[in-house]
Amino acid sequence: MKRQIPLIIVIGLGFVFVAHTFIPAKISVDFYEWWQTWSKAISPFAVVLGVMSLFMVHSTKITRKVSNWQYSAVTLGSLAITSLIGFVWGTQEGTPFMWLFKNIQMPMGATMFSLLAFHIASAAYKAFRARSLEATVLLLAACIVMLGQVPLGSQISKWIPETSQWILNVPNLAAKRAIALGVGLGMTATSLKILLGIERTYLGGGD
Amino acid sequence: MKSSQFKTGLVLILLVSSFILIPVSAGAALNQTDFIVDNLQVHDIPYDDGSGLMLSWKPLPKERRIIEYRVYRGITPDSLFYIGRIDVNVKTGVPGDEMYFYDIDFNYFMDTQAPARLKREKQQPKESPLYQRYPRDARITGPQLKHYDILGVISEKDYYYKNQRFDKHAEDDTTTYAGLKVRNFSQMAKKLITDHEYYYTVLAVSESRKYYPHCEPVIGIPRENAPEKTKNLFPVYVQDLNRLQFEWSLPTFADDIYYHNIYILNRQDIETFNNYIRELQELEVNDIARKADSTLTALTPQYSNPAQLIYRRYSGYPYTPSRTVSVDVTDNRIIGPKVYKNLFTGEETTVDVPFQTDQFEDYYFVFSLYDAARYETFSDPVPAEVITSDQLPELPEFEIQDRKDDKGDYNIVRWGKPVVYLTNSSYLNEKKTRLLINYEYNTNENYKIRSIYFRVFDENGNEIKLINEFYQDLKISVKIPENTVLLNFEMTFKCSNPLPEDYVIRQQLYLDEITNSLLPDKVYLGNEDLKANEYYIYKRNYTDEEFRLSKKVAGTYRELDDNIRYENAHFKLVKEFDADKQLYLVSPSFSVKMDSTGENSIGSYLYRDLQEDRLKSYEKSLLEYKTSLDTLITEEEIAQAESAVEYYQNQIDQISNNPILQQAESYGSDRARIRYLDKVRHYAKNSFEYKIVKSNGKGYFSESTIHVREKPIALTPDNVYVAHLNGLGKDHFFPRSNWFKMQMLPALIASLIFGILVYVMIKKAKQGHDLYIRPIAGIQEIDNAIGRATEMGKPILFVPGLSSIGDVATLAGLAILSRVAKKAAEYDTRILVPVRDYIVLPIAQEIVKEAHYEAGRPDSYDRNSVFFITDAQFAFVAGVNGIMIREKTATNFYMGMFWAEALLMTETGSSTGAIQISGTDAVTQIPFFITTCDYTLIGEELYAASAYLAREPLQLGSLKAVDYFKLLILIFVISGTLLSTVHLTFLINSFPEK
Repeated sequence: MKRQIPLIIVIGLGFVFVAHTFIPAKISVDFYEWWQTWSKAISPFAVVLGVMSLFMVHSTKITRKVSNWQYSAVTLGSLAITSLIGFVWGTQEGTPFMWLFKNIQMPMGATMFSLLAFHIASAAYKAFRARSLEATVLLLAACIVMLGQVPLGSQISKWIPETSQWILNVPNLAAKRAIALGVGLGMTATSLKILLGIERTYLGGGD
Repeated sequence: MKSSQFKTGLVLILLVSSFILIPVSAGAALNQTDFIVDNLQVHDIPYDDGSGLMLSWKPLPKERRIIEYRVYRGITPDSLFYIGRIDVNVKTGVPGDEMYFYDIDFNYFMDTQAPARLKREKQQPKESPLYQRYPRDARITGPQLKHYDILGVISEKDYYYKNQRFDKHAEDDTTTYAGLKVRNFSQMAKKLITDHEYYYTVLAVSESRKYYPHCEPVIGIPRENAPEKTKNLFPVYVQDLNRLQFEWSLPTFADDIYYHNIYILNRQDIETFNNYIRELQELEVNDIARKADSTLTALTPQYSNPAQLIYRRYSGYPYTPSRTVSVDVTDNRIIGPKVYKNLFTGEETTVDVPFQTDQFEDYYFVFSLYDAARYETFSDPVPAEVITSDQLPELPEFEIQDRKDDKGDYNIVRWGKPVVYLTNSSYLNEKKTRLLINYEYNTNENYKIRSIYFRVFDENGNEIKLINEFYQDLKISVKIPENTVLLNFEMTFKCSNPLPEDYVIRQQLYLDEITNSLLPDKVYLGNEDLKANEYYIYKRNYTDEEFRLSKKVAGTYRELDDNIRYENAHFKLVKEFDADKQLYLVSPSFSVKMDSTGENSIGSYLYRDLQEDRLKSYEKSLLEYKTSLDTLITEEEIAQAESAVEYYQNQIDQISNNPILQQAESYGSDRARIRYLDKVRHYAKNSFEYKIVKSNGKGYFSESTIHVREKPIALTPDNVYVAHLNGLGKDHFFPRSNWFKMQMLPALIASLIFGILVYVMIKKAKQGHDLYIRPIAGIQEIDNAIGRATEMGKPILFVPGLSSIGDVATLAGLAILSRVAKKAAEYDTRILVPVRDYIVLPIAQEIVKEAHYEAGRPDSYDRNSVFFITDAQFAFVAGVNGIMIREKTATNFYMGMFWAEALLMTETGSSTGAIQISGTDAVTQIPFFITTCDYTLIGEELYAASAYLAREPLQLGSLKAVDYFKLLILIFVISGTLLSTVHLTFLINSFPEK
């Protein structure tokens, strides 16, 4: 029963929503909207699970004094303080909560994001080493596309921006669409497997 | 070492704690009086219905770091409730010297999100008059109702079935109401009452959310004003049709406009008329001044209106816009179709005005807007332009159809034949010999375009090119001679229905000296400039008295999707309340439709007996008036009594003989009765009749008759709800809710084919057929990667993407997690699964737990190995990267949906020397994974992985079906390409675009 009931719910509702895709009638639209409103109610409960998980993982580290347990203390401390501030002063613009968000979380996030530029350079270096014919083609294509995006490219030759555009619009787009097509079918197949009960791993276990 | 770690931890905690002290300590020791809003004033809004006020005040300097201004209103200065705020950008402050807040129209008063009880505003002293929003508590808010016009928006279900009958037994009021709780209202909206006093104050809130003291409350009184003056009136006399046509501009504020009037004026009366208008303005000023100062004396009108009414139209409530009308002239007289009655003054006007067609230059025309407070504002007198009917635009045939594939909220109005026009052009080379031309086209279902032919001529009339646009991609390219200054285009169509041979659209591209480019000129169909005219779509349902202007569209349009809002709410005035039961009281009566005359509303009550009571009361009144006729003496009294007798007799007849009300009363159950009335009401409100007007915006217009279908739409015979709606399906059109989206038919067929393929392949696999699946390196290496971690004694890291459980990629990632976790459990290798989504967390935990059970190693399952980090994208990356570095994971899996964080994680993993296997369907992240990971599952391989690992017939069968289906798609893609190349577009057109 532990497996069957969730499976029945998934299969039943799955077919209902498949039907919704093909049925534009008001009853179908209203049901979908009603369902969406209710599905939003699940999220707040799930947050509790997330916080509990966070607390259990880090409190275990602290009590066992595993290496670098101090970071866990900071994590739990930050969680407690931020929540407390949010509950006491609210989360509106101008509250201490918003101040923490703008002056701590946002810059830290931006810092992480800015690292991406260096990682892209590093990845590009790895990708563009002309070790094989394919890698050489990739290197050439990348050079043309990059030059095509900047004024220098058109200064060198008027063909560079046009070739760059052609690379993006023809081979690149073709490859992207091929992947998208495969992804679309893969998604449909996976959804169908879930609907028919063939794929049940999301219920836990492989069967 | 331990001491050092303790110190580090302490420093970090203190550092984080210190951050929170900064915002709290900011803003201390400031002089609060410097933060009080200055120069608050309340102004009446001009031209309105007496329900609008505008507040203005001087904003505080930018240096004060104000983040918002909060506005409070009350009916006394000692209790003011929060009504709204204006947010301010702290960095830029408020540009200008004044800020404005408009308290106009129906806007928010209360709903379920209002506080339950009366709450003082934050950070205010005990004696402060400021409160938060009006609370839900009827004991507090109820007494406020009489100071506003409150409009309750109630969902149909709540109004019909969740009301509580409330019979008021007060001395002055024995009315029956429908009582509703606050939760039954979607919202209550308020409108200020004319000539009522309201107090306002404003306070500033600083960046650190410090509420500063409010300014001294200021009084404001909304005053009723005359409507705004109509800017444009275009009278036209169509000589050969002997018809006057009028077109005017619509007012900005129209809430209480009650009548549209048109008057005729003799030239010699213009001066008197101007004096009359001037006097009206003075009277309005005097009216308002006397309201403020009762000692002032009322002005006595000196002038009467010399203009004569020739047309009147009821226009509200709610306002039904209209901008055209034609008035016929018969035998040199303008004769009205009916007696126009002014409901406010009781004055009746019979229109019979002389109009000498040979002296039309002696006549001027005036348009007026007349409001519910009896104010009338006139346009300037304008003489009529004299034209003939051949100068009027030609009106095409039109038809109304129910739109397909919708939930029953659209009718389609279609007219005319297709049009195409050039919109822009740009040179494709430096020599300016190649030109890219953009075009637009409009058509409708009756004329599906197969091809558009562009015939291009140079300035000498030589044909340059003929282009056949069999696939309309809205652009064509033409090779043109150097230094071209003019190009002529002739555009024709090949459509599903044949077009006349002379149906040719012409347009020029001319060289514009300023932009130095070829610009499109006017578009002509014969002699008609297609962009010179517009179409006005008028509609009316069974509950409207008059046609309303639904939409105005450009002359190049050929159809309009007319939205018919599926209204499922009742709008009711809320004036009464019951504090003990916490009920807000509304009228239990509701209208269903207009009667056959289009002047009286047919309505009923929520409670059956009220209908009977109403009938009895009418019968009683009728009897009283009839009896009084014998005793009355004066003619005036007798006339009044006769009028009352007629009125009550009509009302009784309407209630007793109306088939809809009779049918409703025939239902035994109250629920069935209400359901019937509601259904009829829906059909009545959503069934519209249409007419269209084609106009140049200046009175040159042609108006259609009401559209009547030759073959009426067949109605379901047993549908009792439409049985008494005359003309439904013939001249009234009801948009029907469709049960199948025809556009999705190809998708349905494809899904069925795919389903059949899956079934066949699964069956084959079960029968033992060897289904070949190409080897996927990334999947084959999973076992090796897990083995490597086991050999090294290091954990495995598995990131199931950053998306939610609703993403199929996450489900595919979790399916792989199941296999990996099982293998890891068998090898007794620790697996770490950091999760970003809280809903994914318990699922991932359950999967890993089950995997350990299946592997026979339940003891090795650690619940904390599957854990939530955060839902912040980059904070999650920081967490995962930290785990990789600290735990020195030997194998990293990234399976699911990823965004910009993908490279940050895999580069870190690469630097720690872990073997990395990734899989995603995010096209933009695949290159990063390929570059930094050892193996990558590209797109669909992610979805195939689970089946590949399971090697079960069910899974393999579905995988194989996908391959065959891809083959089918490939066949269609190639066929479509080849057929389109030879101008056969039926295949690509058979698929929906989206």
